[in-house]
Amino acid sequence: MIQIYNVSKAYRRDASALSDLNLKIPKGDFVYITGPSGAGKSTLLKLLYAAEKPSRGQILINGQNVTRMSGRRIPELRRHMGIVFQDFKLLNSRTIFENVAFPLEVQGKKRFEVSKKVFQTLKLVGLEHKLQSLPLELSGGEQQRVAVARALVVDPLVLIADEPTGNLDPEVTLDIMGLFRGANARGSTVLLATHDREMIRQFPRRVITLENGRLADDRMP
Amino acid sequence: MERLIYFIRRALRNMRQCLFLCSVAIGTTAVALSIIAFFAIVVLNVQQITADWSRQVEIVAYLDRVPDAVTLQGLQSKLLALPEVEKIEYTTSDEAFSQFRKRLGNDADLLDGVDSDILPASFKIALKPPFRNQAGVDTVVARLQKDVGLDDVKFGREWLEKFESFVALLKLGGAVIGGFLLFAALFIVSNTIRLTQYARRDELEVMSLVGATSMFIKTPFLIEGAIQGALGGIAAIVCSFVLFRLFLYESLSALLLASGSGTIVFLPLSFQWMFLGAGVFLGFFGSLMSLRKLVRI
Repeated sequence: MIQIYNVSKAYRRDASALSDLNLKIPKGDFVYITGPSGAGKSTLLKLLYAAEKPSRGQILINGQNVTRMSGRRIPELRRHMGIVFQDFKLLNSRTIFENVAFPLEVQGKKRFEVSKKVFQTLKLVGLEHKLQSLPLELSGGEQQRVAVARALVVDPLVLIADEPTGNLDPEVTLDIMGLFRGANARGSTVLLATHDREMIRQFPRRVITLENGRLADDRMP
Repeated sequence: MERLIYFIRRALRNMRQCLFLCSVAIGTTAVALSIIAFFAIVVLNVQQITADWSRQVEIVAYLDRVPDAVTLQGLQSKLLALPEVEKIEYTTSDEAFSQFRKRLGNDADLLDGVDSDILPASFKIALKPPFRNQAGVDTVVARLQKDVGLDDVKFGREWLEKFESFVALLKLGGAVIGGFLLFAALFIVSNTIRLTQYARRDELEVMSLVGATSMFIKTPFLIEGAIQGALGGIAAIVCSFVLFRLFLYESLSALLLASGSGTIVFLPLSFQWMFLGAGVFLGFFGSLMSLRKLVRI
């Protein structure tokens, strides 16, 4: 369960990225966060994975108050999250296997556990044959699938994706959306920031619309 | 232990995967330390020359009249009992006369008809190394005059003063330039490491986003910095040895030959270990300083 109470975020004194936002997202939900550029979608997601702290208000994830969390506890919070970005954020000097294994190594998992889980996850996204490739040897769609695999490998409670299909063609977008829906079906709460209306129409779910940092609309399909 | 092995493995893998950046960091450390090593070699050898020169700091005490055997033995024991004195050499009047005659060479016949006891007997007093300076000489002269009863004492005051100011200047210059070079090395190395880490900021960001703790992120980078520093230190020792043999050896040999002192030396083993340690220190703290700014969870 994600609870957001009266959250505001201002990067500068005169410009608010988010204003007085209140939301409740039940466990296992699939939510689109949409709105025009600069509406505050990315800021909201950054607040959720504690890359930013809100200027005001409280955020609770599974009962834990993220806004009061000390720097030392943030890594623990992120270990239960999967985060996917528009620009993939893969380590180009590492192989696909190493990229996907990274979150598990961070958690101190044993080598054989890591290998087994990475292989399973890469199989899930259809890239088990590219284990030893480097990210730049892959297409954009494949790179995003690796990024999704890296997010899914930890069986995240919350899967956060910021414009994950922004750079991809419609066919690949379908593939990626399939992966998110699969993760949601396995129990992950999915928050997906997008301004792709077509995608929302094709896979209708709850849609939260932000405008100028405020909640403009929150509707179920 | 398992964790440490994992961190070392990751540090080595990082170095292999970012070979260019790693080489830049090692190269910069090597160049910075080579300059200091080169400077240290010069200072060490010049110090050796001055140490050699300081052996010439000695006092000559002249005796008013030739002492009998018992008095002479008493004087010798008194002199050797002084804590500053390393050794003494007694010269009789006759010996002094024949040395003088020898020194006159072709003009020795000037001394024909002169009594051989015209020159006084004397003690040549050599001092222990810590007392081969103005203060040491002053103390010994005062003791000779007060305790031993030798009033006619000679030593090269003017030479000693010049020598002392030269050594002081050398030490001050060495400390200032050495300190400056060390500071410059720390500055250059830490900035190079910062640049190499800045080029890998994506990696730091990804690590933090997948839940790595600050320690997990920093430790391999610190190990990497220390390894790079150690390799830079070794490269600096090798590089300075090559430069020493190619350029410095000849010129220092000429200088030593001119001064009549011993052989020239490369950095002693203790200094080589120090340079290796300095490399590890530079690499480790250079990494630590830049990581403090780059890693923010």
